[in-house]
Amino acid sequence: MEVNLRFTLNGRMIHVMVPPHWTLLRVLRETLGLTGTKEGCGIGECGACTVLMNGKPVNACLILAPKAEGKSIETVEALASQDSLHPLQKSFIQHGAVQCGFCTPGILMSAKALLEDKPHPDKEEVKEAISGHLCRCTGYQQIIEAIQRVGEKVKR
Amino acid sequence: MTYCVDMILPFDYQTPKTLKEACRLLGEAKGKAKVIAGGTDLVIRLRNEEEKPDLLVDVTCLEELKGIEESDGTLSIGATVTHSEISDSSIVKRYGSVLAKAASQIGSPQIRNLGTIGGNIINASPAADTLPALMVLNAVGRVVSSESEREVPVRQLLESPYKSALKPDELLVRIQFKKLSQDTCCSFHRLARREAMAIARMSLALLFRMRDGNISDFRFSPGAVLPVPDRLEEVETFLEGRSPEEDLLRAAACKVSEAIVKRSGIRPSTSYKAPVIEALFLRAMREAMQQCQSNK
Ligand SMILES: Cc1cc2nc3c(=O)[nH]c(=O)nc-3n(C[C@H](O)[C@H](O)[C@H](O)COP(=O)(O)OP(=O)(O)OC[C@H]3O[C@@H](n4cnc5c(N)ncnc54)[C@H](O)[C@@H]3O)c2cc1C
Ligand code: FES
Ligand code: FES
Repeated sequence: MEVNLRFTLNGRMIHVMVPPHWTLLRVLRETLGLTGTKEGCGIGECGACTVLMNGKPVNACLILAPKAEGKSIETVEALASQDSLHPLQKSFIQHGAVQCGFCTPGILMSAKALLEDKPHPDKEEVKEAISGHLCRCTGYQQIIEAIQRVGEKVKR
Repeated sequence: MTYCVDMILPFDYQTPKTLKEACRLLGEAKGKAKVIAGGTDLVIRLRNEEEKPDLLVDVTCLEELKGIEESDGTLSIGATVTHSEISDSSIVKRYGSVLAKAASQIGSPQIRNLGTIGGNIINASPAADTLPALMVLNAVGRVVSSESEREVPVRQLLESPYKSALKPDELLVRIQFKKLSQDTCCSFHRLARREAMAIARMSLALLFRMRDGNISDFRFSPGAVLPVPDRLEEVETFLEGRSPEEDLLRAAACKVSEAIVKRSGIRPSTSYKAPVIEALFLRAMREAMQQCQSNK
């Protein structure tokens, strides 16, 4: 069995035929070639596969493909434009919040959802927003600063 | 744990648009179908091949299973309402705050955006966070199949660890409970290895009102320490109608750990849990008492 899926991916309507037992993560990476979204644990615990579904962060490793039908999905590939990085991406680089980079795409998506909801989050709100992500490299401090600083720039 | 992306075995998938059709699909599958809501428990079980269904029936498009509704005296929550929706809901915060608190502490933001209250109940984990809250709310589930419709107290929806009392063709449609009066004091606490993303090692929900300086309508349910979540009536009757002096609360805390040891049998983890649950109980009682003070 294959299912016919239509959904909005990074602002564009797309159409794919995939087996229903594939996860959204697999469809993104294998069918659509969007390898920015990472697979870490595959069981909802590390956050590396985080994408936005109708604007909310979710674990793509736990979502079966048919659930994408009719939804709006955003991945890390949506952040940068032709000629410039997204303010969050710039801030991550400036603050040394990217080391091996494996956790980065997922955390960027959670950060994007946070800033859309609360443009000037305090430290606790940032911590809560990234509580579903594991980073083996940075110790989180730089990541928290990078996200908060973008919030401050928006304020000015 | 080993896994690879290909590990989920194939199955068919249906997303019915009406409750009737969902019931028909489940009925015709004769036990070979599984319901899927958020999938946060089920997808992992599929990956581990603990479930091998021929068909998944996705219930997240069914109107009857959606939304939080308030009617005279009752609050009704659709089975597919997510933990995020519950913890953000002003109605749940007002009339069932113990549940809003429990839902807000589940997993991570991503898990709360996917996981549903119905899935949390029917998965029947001894550590499910909404269960202690639903127990003290005396919540009742509405269960439907092609053949029948029944109302079942949440406790009766649970059979044994990880096994619900639903028949394979039955769907949990809504969860209902009486709105709490505004003078109700309640508390939900959980301890976990890490703040976020650890299944609760221990939790508890309690609520009561103060009548002329005495505890009234006291309800208490511990989580993750009993094979199947339940209320502890021995503790409830012990505190009912009494004045909440410090000595009495300490005595009640001992009753709590005694009752848990008795009910769970002697399990290796119980001895370390006893003093911790006593402390957690006292903390929850004090928090609820403070709430009573500020309600006045
Ligand atoms: C990383 C991670 C962290 C987690 N942390 C927590 C936590 O802190 N606390 C906690 O309590 N849980 C936690 N969970 C478990 C899980 O997220 C919750 O139990 C969640 O509420 C399950 O809901 P779901 O909609 O995803 O269920 P699903 O996976 O869709 O379904 C679970 C079970 O219920 C059945 N089912 C679902 N809906 C219905 C219905 N309406 N009628 C009949 N049967 C139905 C399914 O057939 C299946 O057997 C965690 C899970 C993960 C992966
Ligand atoms: S890969 Fe999805 S949470 Fe780890
Ligand atoms: S930068 Fe390496 S895991 Fe976060």
